Amino acid sequence: MKNIIELKNIVFSYGDLKAVDNVTLEVGKGIYGLLGPNGAGKTTLMKVILGFLTPSSGMGTVLGHDIANSHLEVKKKIGYMPETDCLIPGMDAVTLTAYLGELSGMPRQEAMKRAHEVLYYVGLEESRYRKVETYSSGMKQRMKLAAALVHDPELLFLDEPTSGMDPQARKEMLELINDIGTKGTMNIIISSHILADVESTCGYVLIMNRGKIVSQQEMASALHGETVNIIELKLKGDIAAFKEKLSGFHMEQDEKGVYRVHLPKDYSPQSLFKTAYETKVQIRHFRKSKVTLEDAFVTAIGEANAH
Amino acid sequence: MPIREKGYYNWDGELKTSRFNWLPIFMNGIKTVYKKRFSKFVFAVSGIPFLIFMVAIYVSSKPELKMLSRLVREIQTDALLFNAYYTNGFLVFMMMVISVFAGAELIAGDLKYKSFTLYLSRPLSRMDYITGKFSIVLFYLLDFTLVPGILMILFKIIFTGSVSISPRVLLAAFGFPILVSFFLASLGIMISSLTTNLKMAKIMIFVIYLLSNAVAHMFREIFRSRSFLHFSIDENISQFGSFIFNTRGGGFYTEGFIAGIILLALTLIFLTIVMVRIKRVEV
Repeated sequence: MKNIIELKNIVFSYGDLKAVDNVTLEVGKGIYGLLGPNGAGKTTLMKVILGFLTPSSGMGTVLGHDIANSHLEVKKKIGYMPETDCLIPGMDAVTLTAYLGELSGMPRQEAMKRAHEVLYYVGLEESRYRKVETYSSGMKQRMKLAAALVHDPELLFLDEPTSGMDPQARKEMLELINDIGTKGTMNIIISSHILADVESTCGYVLIMNRGKIVSQQEMASALHGETVNIIELKLKGDIAAFKEKLSGFHMEQDEKGVYRVHLPKDYSPQSLFKTAYETKVQIRHFRKSKVTLEDAFVTAIGEANAH
Repeated sequence: MPIREKGYYNWDGELKTSRFNWLPIFMNGIKTVYKKRFSKFVFAVSGIPFLIFMVAIYVSSKPELKMLSRLVREIQTDALLFNAYYTNGFLVFMMMVISVFAGAELIAGDLKYKSFTLYLSRPLSRMDYITGKFSIVLFYLLDFTLVPGILMILFKIIFTGSVSISPRVLLAAFGFPILVSFFLASLGIMISSLTTNLKMAKIMIFVIYLLSNAVAHMFREIFRSRSFLHFSIDENISQFGSFIFNTRGGGFYTEGFIAGIILLALTLIFLTIVMVRIKRVEV
């Protein structure tokens, strides 16, 4: 199986709002980061793939199973770590993890053994007999990861995995995700607002905006500026006119007054001089900047909005 | 070497495919309810009618205690015995308590703590979830109705040394507690599915029970018609008991038949409400 997820023209609407708008997507093996502004449709897309929501049109397969007709088969092979606090109070971590393992189809004794192992793995070995409602938010995140891992899924969905964690716990969570993605045979999709988390863990990046996938690329190519050039400029003159001419591109100014212009790869940076000449602006500093994931994200969203 | 140092490794087992995906929910629910505060007290009190009736069965089987057995009018025949056991006010009230105790928090808790996501991210359908939750309440209700009923039959055979119970009564002794338990379990989980407030769920079940009895008797007095007794949960159970065990004698007991239809219809309505409600829960 080449692709673990294949979606074709998937549409899901909340009333008149198309939360997932005609999404066609192929996701191969590896760790993918799913990015997008609030309301972009990331969680809805995840829920469609997980079989929680039925798309109004389109078709798709996950790990070779049809998402509309075989969602129980799909769920056997996937692990889902939800963003929300959803742990069942009154149960200790090891009982809850084993219980969820059993619900996934694990034999009871195996589920209990594996529950101990995954709780050790996520760093909850000392607290595994504590009731989950007494956990801190960071511990709850680890617990949810253990619950998603207990049945050893082929595909792991992590929705905001570092939410509510302190810097040290966040670092450890990202190390765990990296370890899971590299040591085992598991494929991972991470939905996160924290671009640095995605940059440090993912091999591929998917960017969503207004229900559509606006960019899909390897992390390396995103960071090497294969789709975008970031040009740093210091300007003097009628800057408003210059900005007006470049209104189709994302442009931001830092605290030192340096402008960063996001140019698509097919747009020559030299043409900025022509624009400057036409608008009677002096370019006093011109430098190609290092591209970050945030730059790739901003450019993709900007281009999508411009269209 | 601890797994933390060793790094992640795959589980080498195989996931089972079962038609009874809801079974872990049932098993876990049984344990959770049993571990609740006051569970032993509630179960012990619910077992009191069984103990009393066991004594009565023993007394009736001993000719030397014939004088005492005459005091217990209800156990003169098997039909009267089972009808008296299953429809006695105390047991019906305790069944309602069990429905509240075991059922009120089952779905309301999952809705309140958003745990529904945890269930649906596993290979479980919404129907599996409902079946699992429903079976927990049903299990505890049958523990204090059907199970004592079976034990009473067995002990009666042991005490008297003969199998004298008629097939009709035997069938009724099995069927009646199942239908009543289905009714009360469906009421319990329906209320549980309608709110995220755990206390409210418990109160609502009791209010429906008490209000149904109060309204029925009030209307009966006002309109001087026994038909209004069909508003009462207690009365419907009692009338259906009389019908199914044929304890009134004579012809077809219409009111009892209608009571049975009402209980069955309400059970179906309650379960439909639960299904619609669970289907609409967003995860």
